[in-house]
Amino acid sequence: MLLMLLLLLTAGTGTGAGTGAGTGTGAPPLRGPALRSSPPVPASPSASPPLLLLPKPRAEYGAPGVASARSAAEEPAGGGGEEAGEQHHHHGGGFRVVQWEWSYVQTPYIIAIWLLVASVAKILFHFSQRFTTVVPESCMLILLGLVLGGIVLIANKKQLYQLEPALFFLFLLPTIVGDAGYFMPARLFFDNLGAILMYAVVGTLWNAFCTGFSLYAAKLVGVIDERVHADLLDFLLFGALVSAVDPVAVLAVFEEVHVNDTLFIIVFGESLVNDAVTVVLYKVYISFVEVGAENVQTVDYFKGVASFLIVSIGGTLVGLVFAVLLGFITRFTKKVRIIEPLFVFLLVYLAYLTAELFSLSAILSMTFCGIGANKYVEANISQKSRTTVKYTMKTLASIAETIIFIFLGISAVDKTKWAWDTGLVSCTLIFIFIFRAMGVIGQTWVLNRFRLVPLDKIDQVVMSYGGLRGAVAFALVVLLDGEQVRAKDYFVATTIVVVFFTVMFQGLTIKPLVKWLKVPRSTSRKPTINEEIHERAFDHILTAVEDIAGLQGYHHWRDKWEQFDKNYLSKLLLRKSVYRKSELWEAYQKINIRDAISVIDQGGNVLTSARLSLPSMTSRASFPEVTNVTNYLRENGSGVCLDLQVIDNVPGAKVEEDMETHHVLAENLYKPRRRYQSAYSRHFMPLGEKERQDREVFQRNMKSRMETFKSTRHKRHKKERSLKKRRGSDSKEDGNEKPRRNVSWQDKDPVVVPVESEEEKGEHSDPEKEKEEDEGITFVARKAETPKIRPKSVPAALEGCHSPPAAPYSPTSEDSHLPWKGGVGSPPPCVSVEATKIIPVDLQQAWNQSISSLESISSPPAPAEPVHPRVSALSRLGGPRPASYTPPGSLAGSTSSVGAQVAQGSFCFPEKKEEEEEEEEEEEEGALQEMRPLMSSLRPPGAMPPPPQPPPGSAPGSGKRRNPCVYLRSFVTAPPPPPPPPPPPPPGDSRSRGPTQL
Amino acid sequence: MGALQSAPAQPEYRDLADKTGFSYEQIGVLHKRFKQLSHNEPTLRRDHFSAIPDLACNPIRAQIIEAFFDRRNYRQNNEGKVEEISFEEFLVVMSHFRPPSMNMTDEQRESIRKEKLRFLFNMHDTDNDGTITLQEYRHVVEELLSRSGALGKETAKSIADAAMLEVASISMGHMEPDEFYEGITFEHFLKLLKGFEIESKMNIRFLNMDTTTLCK
Repeated sequence: MLLMLLLLLTAGTGTGAGTGAGTGTGAPPLRGPALRSSPPVPASPSASPPLLLLPKPRAEYGAPGVASARSAAEEPAGGGGEEAGEQHHHHGGGFRVVQWEWSYVQTPYIIAIWLLVASVAKILFHFSQRFTTVVPESCMLILLGLVLGGIVLIANKKQLYQLEPALFFLFLLPTIVGDAGYFMPARLFFDNLGAILMYAVVGTLWNAFCTGFSLYAAKLVGVIDERVHADLLDFLLFGALVSAVDPVAVLAVFEEVHVNDTLFIIVFGESLVNDAVTVVLYKVYISFVEVGAENVQTVDYFKGVASFLIVSIGGTLVGLVFAVLLGFITRFTKKVRIIEPLFVFLLVYLAYLTAELFSLSAILSMTFCGIGANKYVEANISQKSRTTVKYTMKTLASIAETIIFIFLGISAVDKTKWAWDTGLVSCTLIFIFIFRAMGVIGQTWVLNRFRLVPLDKIDQVVMSYGGLRGAVAFALVVLLDGEQVRAKDYFVATTIVVVFFTVMFQGLTIKPLVKWLKVPRSTSRKPTINEEIHERAFDHILTAVEDIAGLQGYHHWRDKWEQFDKNYLSKLLLRKSVYRKSELWEAYQKINIRDAISVIDQGGNVLTSARLSLPSMTSRASFPEVTNVTNYLRENGSGVCLDLQVIDNVPGAKVEEDMETHHVLAENLYKPRRRYQSAYSRHFMPLGEKERQDREVFQRNMKSRMETFKSTRHKRHKKERSLKKRRGSDSKEDGNEKPRRNVSWQDKDPVVVPVESEEEKGEHSDPEKEKEEDEGITFVARKAETPKIRPKSVPAALEGCHSPPAAPYSPTSEDSHLPWKGGVGSPPPCVSVEATKIIPVDLQQAWNQSISSLESISSPPAPAEPVHPRVSALSRLGGPRPASYTPPGSLAGSTSSVGAQVAQGSFCFPEKKEEEEEEEEEEEEGALQEMRPLMSSLRPPGAMPPPPQPPPGSAPGSGKRRNPCVYLRSFVTAPPPPPPPPPPPPPGDSRSRGPTQL
Repeated sequence: MGALQSAPAQPEYRDLADKTGFSYEQIGVLHKRFKQLSHNEPTLRRDHFSAIPDLACNPIRAQIIEAFFDRRNYRQNNEGKVEEISFEEFLVVMSHFRPPSMNMTDEQRESIRKEKLRFLFNMHDTDNDGTITLQEYRHVVEELLSRSGALGKETAKSIADAAMLEVASISMGHMEPDEFYEGITFEHFLKLLKGFEIESKMNIRFLNMDTTTLCK
């Protein structure tokens, strides 16, 4: 509906402007802001290929400058169509309050509208999950394009918009290729380089020649109609342009199919590399056609071959030069982080344009620029820049892809552009399919003699079937000169059919085919730490064995290259700070974060995984890219987290406001909550009056003591919460509701659920670590919590749903008598998820230590249970861990060694040390101090039932509220210090980490 | 692979070919290399390996060299270390890296996989007690990162610890409070690398052609 509206809008304005336009001098149209991100605007309409689809008449209104544009708009009769005219009439000749400035904004406006239409269309497609899993997006976009094109055609009697080759080659294609190249898994690509080159070069040549000759034969036989005036050269030319597998189409379809990595990289790599072949063949044939077949001399063929070599190798070299340049430049951007992404885009794009400038293979150039630079750039630029690059590239590529497919659809509607010949179309379809299959089988047979991992029959079927043609072929065929290639119209029609058939039919059926053939799919699973270790070990082992055996195989040369890279390239292209640890950087960084996550996982998971049979691995497995933790958590935070500020990167008025609200709510909700606490006793035995008093006394005595704990504890909670959150969101994202159920039994409850379950889960996972003795502290935290949680959940609802939570959860007796369970309903401190990421595991240890110290004083109701082995191991390992516990932000590559400090510190006396050393903590602490007065005023002393009175000084919750933003601020604005120089393991630490202890 | 060729098959090669699955040509090439390494002596010692220049910068060369002198890798159910190896042993160790043939049944694949993993396991399990202890595992990781100097050592420690913890969580599931994880047993090792397609990774292309002259 919305779509239609937009459509009508564009169509209407289009027709309006179109009809109004009479005679123009062809003044150059207004130049829209030449953003790379939007399909840019034609430089001038008179230039041979008008870039955008702009209706030519309208271009006449555009004037070089602003002033003239406005004046153009003022010509009432000739100008802006009906609407504009109306307005002019209304206002007469005097000063006009409102002016219709269509011609002024026209170009960017149309572009923006197109983008909007395309994007909205995407949203609509994805409304139906089932639909999108069956129908590839590219098909839908083409269909949409057909519909849109039809409407425009009907409304306008003339096709205003169509895919212009220049627009395609200069702007749309580079965005997609750039994205593909930059994020190409380099290792995989080079591991399969032989196969890729084989398919791309030999396969494409084979396809081109066979198709060309066969079509000519078909023509001679008479299958193709007489009207198609084409000779052998024309057919060869057509064969060349229609034979190349198209990167855009392949990417669009294969990304949804998720075949295994090897298969994907071979098909996709082929589609990228065969560009050189296609372009060269195309150019050679074009020049042959121009001079006429009879004038072609033998030497020209050799020139063609030479041209191929130059085009491909030259393009690659250009790309590599720009890659080096890009790496080198990003080495010095430390002070100007903000333009880092720009460099990436500019240089990668320049690589494309430069190659195009010398008529080299631009796709190859861009691909290799991306592949080559990726490693160094990623290491040099900051984490935020990395994210920016990633998102921008993906966005651009997605937009470009959308536009390409829509315009493919639209272009097909225009009947004046093509002429139909059934013979030609069906022959082409059959030939390209047959020759593709034959080519693949033949080449695979040859390849398998050399490949260590042979490509089996199923792979070959998918590869043959995955030979999708796309916009490149279309753009090339549109570029043909109708004068010289008289059958151009027929070729255009055939190409459109071929593209449609491959993208729509094959694209639609490849997924069921892959499923039916049981093609091994790619697993999105991240390798475990151990796999990572062995992966690396393997490279070395294989290299060593090759060396010993005296073979100079692939591994030998790869190792040689790596050494060269390490000794020279990295020195040149990587920042010093990065270079120092570039050796481990990649692997370690990954392992580090994953390690951190797994630690959290296990820490928080001990209970849940064991009890709910939710293997800890699953949560990690489904966890997406590790480096994304930040975004990931932030996203989820919006859904589940109580703390809005978590999402709020820029602390501002909103934060203040929220805090205000929290306070108010805290005050108002305080009583209901207390009531609940005393009433709720499923797992918590209400203490006698006496006990309570004792507790209070104790608590007061321990006030100062607890202050230190509370930060520790909060952090732990944070950690756990983040874990939960992650897990929860994982399952949510997977569309897999079941696991989620297991974890958060409260999901069904609409109101409180997300909030409460989060909290409870946090609570639940605690027990093993902090046994009963930590009550005092627990309460402190909990109490303070109130403000946080309440705001979101209706108090009444809270009471209702507090009890259910524990029920499903409490399978083990262990849980059920833990006193802290009483607090089930009362969430632990609600903290920014962000913060959790910083908290090293050593906090657990700190926590345990503090507990035990408390324990001696308070003589807890129940003896401490033995700590779960894993947990204890964790806490024992605490020292070294923190390092691994890299805050995502720290990936940015700064080198300070906070982690190390923490590690060391944590061993002596945890609470204190940590506060001193971990800056985040300090901040938190500061926040706490700030909030303290507030909190104490909120709480009538002594009014608290089981939960001992929170010492005024230790109102962590309120502090907490603040914390996230405080923390966030630091996190966002100044990427936290960083990572991981591997933490020196705390001195006393080794004993506990002995093998037996694990 | 093991296809009989009309090559000048020396009789002793026949046994070796049956045993290791190498073709005669490959055995010939490797034999040449063996002689080259051993300076025409009948046996190889550790220092011969250490003298290979390309190996010098390999961070885990020590372990790999050790693997050649480990009886466990001779497919004879022996244990312990040897001081020097003959060509046959050299070849048997090498055969662990032979690419599997194209058409294998699932069982064959599985047994090859186990064999390769066993080789790997033995490499890590230096004291031959059937488990890779944390100490041993740390050592492996340390060596892997040894190119990066002192920095690597601490890193390695934490990585190894994390990895070990991961093993514990994968293989043990829930552990009782008084349980300790002692080390990776071979069963756990199998489980651990379940998703790791070792049968397609731990391969080297053994050429039929002689290239040893190119090596120093």
